[in-house]
Amino acid sequence: MLVVQLACPKCGFVIEQYPAEQLETDSQKQKRYQYLRKKQTLCPSCLTQTSKLEERRVEAQAGAEASVLAAAQAPAEAGAPEADEGPTPFCDELGRGPWPSHVRELRRTRYHMQMYEEALRLRQTQWGFGGYVSLPGVAAGLAVRASARPEIAKGANFLRILPPGGSFYSTETLGKVCDIADRYAYGLLHLHSTGGNIEILGIPTEQLKEVVSALNAQGLDVGSTGDAYRNTVECVGPARCDATLIDTLGIRDAWYRRFLDDVQFPRFPHKLKIKISGCPNDCTRSVQKSCIALIGVFRDAPKIDHERLAAWVEGGGDAAHIARMCPPRALDWDGRRLAIDQEACTHCMYCINKCPAIRPGDDRGVAVLVGGKLRGKYGPLLGRVLVPFVPLAPPEYRELFDLLHRIDEVFDEHARRKERLGDFLFRIGMDQFSRLVGIEPSAHQMAEPRSNVFYHWAAGPPGSDAAEV
Amino acid sequence: MPGIGVAPMEANLPPIVRRNYGAWVWHEVIRPGVLKHVSKSGEACFTVRAGMPPNARVSTALARRICEVANRFCGGYLRITRRHSLELVGVAEAELGAAIAALREIGLAVGGADRTFHNIVCCTGWIHCQFAATDAPAIAKAISDGLWEDFQSEGYPAKLKISIAACVNQCGEGSTADIGVIGIHRDLPRVNDAEVAKCEVPLIVSICPTGAIRPKPPKSVQVDPRRCIHCVACVGQCVGMPIGDPETDGVAIYVGGKAGNQGSGPAFGKLAIPYLPNRPPRWPEVVQAVTGIIGVWTKGARRDERIGDWISRIGWERFFDKTGLPVSDKHLDGYVLWPMAARTGVRFRW
Repeated sequence: MLVVQLACPKCGFVIEQYPAEQLETDSQKQKRYQYLRKKQTLCPSCLTQTSKLEERRVEAQAGAEASVLAAAQAPAEAGAPEADEGPTPFCDELGRGPWPSHVRELRRTRYHMQMYEEALRLRQTQWGFGGYVSLPGVAAGLAVRASARPEIAKGANFLRILPPGGSFYSTETLGKVCDIADRYAYGLLHLHSTGGNIEILGIPTEQLKEVVSALNAQGLDVGSTGDAYRNTVECVGPARCDATLIDTLGIRDAWYRRFLDDVQFPRFPHKLKIKISGCPNDCTRSVQKSCIALIGVFRDAPKIDHERLAAWVEGGGDAAHIARMCPPRALDWDGRRLAIDQEACTHCMYCINKCPAIRPGDDRGVAVLVGGKLRGKYGPLLGRVLVPFVPLAPPEYRELFDLLHRIDEVFDEHARRKERLGDFLFRIGMDQFSRLVGIEPSAHQMAEPRSNVFYHWAAGPPGSDAAEV
Repeated sequence: MPGIGVAPMEANLPPIVRRNYGAWVWHEVIRPGVLKHVSKSGEACFTVRAGMPPNARVSTALARRICEVANRFCGGYLRITRRHSLELVGVAEAELGAAIAALREIGLAVGGADRTFHNIVCCTGWIHCQFAATDAPAIAKAISDGLWEDFQSEGYPAKLKISIAACVNQCGEGSTADIGVIGIHRDLPRVNDAEVAKCEVPLIVSICPTGAIRPKPPKSVQVDPRRCIHCVACVGQCVGMPIGDPETDGVAIYVGGKAGNQGSGPAFGKLAIPYLPNRPPRWPEVVQAVTGIIGVWTKGARRDERIGDWISRIGWERFFDKTGLPVSDKHLDGYVLWPMAARTGVRFRW
C-alpha cells in the first residue's frame, strides 16, 4: 500500500500519514492534507517549528506506522518518579490554609515540585515553548511542552480526553482514567480544563500514542486541540435542571455523531469553539467564550401557576421584590395577583429562577450566536445573534447542524489564518457574514439598526454566489 | 485510533437522572452547597456540591478517594460542574450529613451554591504553562482561603464568581466572572533572530493586532515598543519570541463580568485595577483588593444584584468613589474599541 507521509525536515519524524488512495478520494482528508502542507507545525519529537514539512511516498505494510514511530524516537524515558531534591518553602506556604491545596495534590504525584517551586521563587514560569501536535493517526488531542529547566525536569506532554455528556462520570469511567494516568504519566489529572476536557499531564513523548491506544481500549477518545472544532461544553440540561429549555445532552451527542471528524482532524483557519446552554442563564458562559453559542430560548410568555404562587407567598416568598427587580419591568404585583406584560418580557429567566410558581413557556428552540471569544486580534468580544430561533428536530437536528456546517464552511473558506471567528466577523461585518451564510435578516439579530449610511449595494441576496463583495 | 467519539451518555448518568430525564420541575438550595431537585413524579434528587483544589488539579489518589465516596453515597456516579466543583448527584436525604462529613474527611468543603462565593475557575499558571505572567492556582488558593467561610454560608446579595487567568490568552477566563484576576506582561517579546528564522515571518507580522511587528531582513522581525500592547499573539506562534520579566509581570483586576441574561445582561468584566505586582506565594495585594471590592459590593448591593448589575445601577463614578480605587489613563480604552467605552451623553452621577 502506498502511503503519503508528512515528516519533520530536521529529524525525519513522521507527523502524519495517509494511504495514497484515501487521499485521492476523501475530501476531508484532502483538506486536512492541504492545511498541514501550509501550516506551521511543531514537531513533537525535536520540538522544532517548521513551516515546510517534507513529503514522502513510501510503500508500507499494515501496522507499519507503529514501527515508523518507534524508529523515529529516542529510547523511552522511564516514567518512574524522581525524588525531588531541595527545600520548597513557597510550596509549603501554599499547602497551608483551609482550602484544598493544589500543592498537596501535586505532591501526591510524580510532578516535579522544583519546577513549580522555582517558578514561585523566581516569579517566572519555568516551562518552555510547546503546542498542539499531531501523530500519525492521532491528529488532535495531544500537546507537547518543552522545559526551560531541563536539569530539573524534561518537557512534559499532555493529552485531552473527550468527556462524557454533561460531565457526568461513573466512578468506573473515572477509575479507568486514573489507572492510565498512574501507569503512563505523573498520576495527575486536570479535572477539567476550562474547555471541559480531562487532561492527563506528564506523558513521555514516545508513549503518547500508546496512551491513546490504551484510552481507546477503554472506550475513551481524545481530541479537542489545534485548529479544529473543540469539545462542546454543555450545561447539565434535562439531566438535572428544571430551567432548561432544550435537550443539551442530546444535542451534544448528535453533534458529535455528525462532527466528530472535524473535532479530531484540524483543518480550519483557527479553532472553533461551540458551547450549548439550556436556557438564557447561560451556565456554560457560551456568549462570552465560544465562536458558536447555542442557547435555549422560548418565545411565548412565562407561565404563572397562581395557586402555587399564593402558597409560595404564604411560605415567605417575596413576590414584590421579584416584580421590582424584573429587568424590563414586565411584572406587576398588586399584593394578590402577579401579571406579566408580554410585550415587555425579554424572557431573561430572572423570575423563573427565583419563583417556583413561574415556569418557562412551551414554544422552545435554540438561538445561534457567533463570534464570542476572549483573546485574538480584537480582544474579548461577546457573541452576536445570528439566528434568533431555530426549531429543534431530534434525533438528528438536521436544520440546526446544517446551519452550523454552513457557518464553518464560510469560516474555512474566507477567514485568514489564525483568525478567530469573532475577529473574522469584526473584519467583514455582520451584514456580509449573514449574506455568506445565507441568513434571512431579522430584527432579533440586532440591538438596533445601523446609524451610518455606508452599505454594500453590490452584494447579491443571502446565500447566493454574488453574496460576497 | 480516533473515531470512537464520546462515551455513550447513558452509561455515565446516575439512575435517578435516567428515570427523571427532562422531568424536573423545581429546585431549591436547602443548605449551602446542597441542592434539592424535584421531578414531575415527585421524586427528589439531592446533590452535594464541593469545592475542588485550584485549577481542578486532582491527583489520582484524591480522584480515587472521591470515587470511593461516590460509590458509598450515590451509587458510583459524580459530576464536575462548569465551575469545576464536584457534585455527588442522588445522595439519599438521610445520608446528606454523612456524605458532607465524608467529603470533609478527604479535604473538600461543601458549599458554593446560590448566594455564596463559588468555586474559582483558573488556568494552570506556572504549574505547566509557557505564557503565564502570574500563577493563577496560587492566587486562587490565597483568595479561597480568605473566603473559606463565605463559600459555606450564604452572606452575599447574589452569587459571587471569581475567575483567574494567568495571561491575556485567558484560558482561565478572567473576563467572564464577577471578579477577574488576569496576569499581564509589560515587557516586549525578546526576538531571537536565529529562532525566528525557523518560523513563518509573514504569519507573525500579520497576527500582530497593532502592526507593531515588522520584518527585519534577512529573516527576522522587530517589535515597535510604542505600538506593542503585550497581547502575546506572536509569542504563541513562534519559538523565537519569548516574553516575561519577573520585575514587571503582574496582574490586573476586572469586575462585573457575567454571562446570564438577568439584570444588565451578559457583559465582560471591566478594568478596576490596571496593575498589581507578583508577590508569591500569597499575593497579599491581590487578595486585599479582591476582598475590598467584595466588601463594598456586599454593603451596597440590593438582593439579587451581582457586581455588574450593582455597578450599572450606581455607575462607575460611584464604584471608584466607594472602593477608593484610583482612576488612571489605563482605564480609558485606547484600543480599536475605544469609542464604545467612551461616554457620549452627559447623564453623570456625581
